[in-house]
Amino acid sequence: MTGAPLLTARALVKEFRRGRAVDRVDLLVREGERVALLGPNGAGKTTTLLMCLGVIEQDSGSVELFGHPLPARRAAAMARVGFAAGYLPLPDRLRVHEYLRMYADLYGLRYPGRAVREVLEQWRIEHLAQSIGTELSSGQRTLVGLAKAVLHRPGLLVLDEPTAALDPDVALRVRDGLLGLCEREGTALLVTSHDMAEVAKLCERVVFLSAGRVSADGSPAEVAKRFDRADLEGVFLHLAAERDRSGDRTRDDRDRDRNREETLA
Amino acid sequence: MTATGLALRTPRAASAHRVLAVARRHWLLLLRSPHRFFDVFVWPVVDTLLYGSIGLFAADAAAAAGAGGEVTAVMVFLLSGTVLWHLVHQTQISLATGFLEETWSRNVMGLLTTPTRGWEYLAGVGAFALLRTALSTAAVAALALAAYAFDVTDLGLGLLPLAALLLTCGWSVALVVVGLVLRYGSGAEALVWGALSVVMPLSGVFYPVSTLPAPLRPVAELLPTTHLFAVGRELAAGRAMPWGELLWATTGTAVLLAAGILFLGRMTAVFRRRGLVTRYS
Repeated sequence: MTGAPLLTARALVKEFRRGRAVDRVDLLVREGERVALLGPNGAGKTTTLLMCLGVIEQDSGSVELFGHPLPARRAAAMARVGFAAGYLPLPDRLRVHEYLRMYADLYGLRYPGRAVREVLEQWRIEHLAQSIGTELSSGQRTLVGLAKAVLHRPGLLVLDEPTAALDPDVALRVRDGLLGLCEREGTALLVTSHDMAEVAKLCERVVFLSAGRVSADGSPAEVAKRFDRADLEGVFLHLAAERDRSGDRTRDDRDRDRNREETLA
Repeated sequence: MTATGLALRTPRAASAHRVLAVARRHWLLLLRSPHRFFDVFVWPVVDTLLYGSIGLFAADAAAAAGAGGEVTAVMVFLLSGTVLWHLVHQTQISLATGFLEETWSRNVMGLLTTPTRGWEYLAGVGAFALLRTALSTAAVAALALAAYAFDVTDLGLGLLPLAALLLTCGWSVALVVVGLVLRYGSGAEALVWGALSVVMPLSGVFYPVSTLPAPLRPVAELLPTTHLFAVGRELAAGRAMPWGELLWATTGTAVLLAAGILFLGRMTAVFRRRGLVTRYS
């Protein structure tokens, strides 16, 4: 890739009481690039993502978004970044168009009404405009959340588990919508997901985190080859097993990965 | 323009629209939450009826005993205290619950990932709080006039600086409460409704603080609200503006506001450093 760097994180470190969550992580996302941040539970993905957005302050290391150092110039940087997370609900008692209008104003758009109409049309959710956010299905909420994140046509779209708990048809619609957006507008993507198949289709580069460190960075095929696995799912399970051996995981994590392996088998 | 070409407002206009967007969001929420009208209208009206009727009863009893004049003044103090107290109380509650609303609806992360600055958000909720306080205080003042013939505008022009300082006090206490909620999470939510219940008796809302137990009087004197309610009583009694009290009150309010801003800034820094935002995701 030769595009200009949009996000540059260097040697990020974050410690919580339970230990070091992120340990000297470097992350680079260039213009128009589609990057996935992957890893088992507790690998430090969300913490890294939130530091890259200036929401959590790093203990050491640096983050630059569109040339703005974080957290000092967070407001300027966030004008060019969109964020959505599959686990976040929509606010109570607001209609979808009111929710989008609020965010259009927060992003500083000069024609917020027009931007809302366009994004509803773009994601084919015009029929939801008058609905109250909390009355929507999880799939509809995800689409509205994505519409919110791209209202201002950001240069970088950051998505945390965008298709978590979605039906396959809605997940497909989300993925196609994202790919279309990236192709049409050159938007760069930084995404975390537990769905390795989805990641392989959506992203051209993956960064694997394990125990807070970058353990691999490359195309899905390169990373799978490096770990001598058939695909990203195999790499994920390998890293989860390593974490399992180190004892740094919960019983829920182990049960989940065991079920996953059994399902694959 | 954004990365791919949407027109943006000028920075100053964008700030103003962010403030309005936050205020509008909370206004819509209020309109669609009938139970919140309890805080805005029902409690204030109940307070007015309660203190107004106690005052009227005392005035009637005293008149029968031949000591009507002074007790009528007490009734005026009770009603003026009720109306003025709601300026502090409603501002504090509106601002603090406005922020709590973001935590309840898990909208904190969404807000933090926009260009919205802390002061823009607070100004938006503050503007909403002002509107809500105006509604509530208007209801209280109208009831006091209709039921007890007490007209708060009889306090004269002195009411303007008094109201401005009381609003600022409510705002300052709310900043401290929001800071505590950021730092300690839902465990600190009770303070939203409870913080002022400590301030109220110490501020001499309905009586001079000289009637408080002696050990509490120095504490009461430190509160700007004590001096503000003393000003309110002087005005309600038809006397001239006590400029000395007003100066003390203004200084104290400025200190309280500065302390509130500093405390909130400190708690916000802790919130970011410890990654406490994940409580709301």
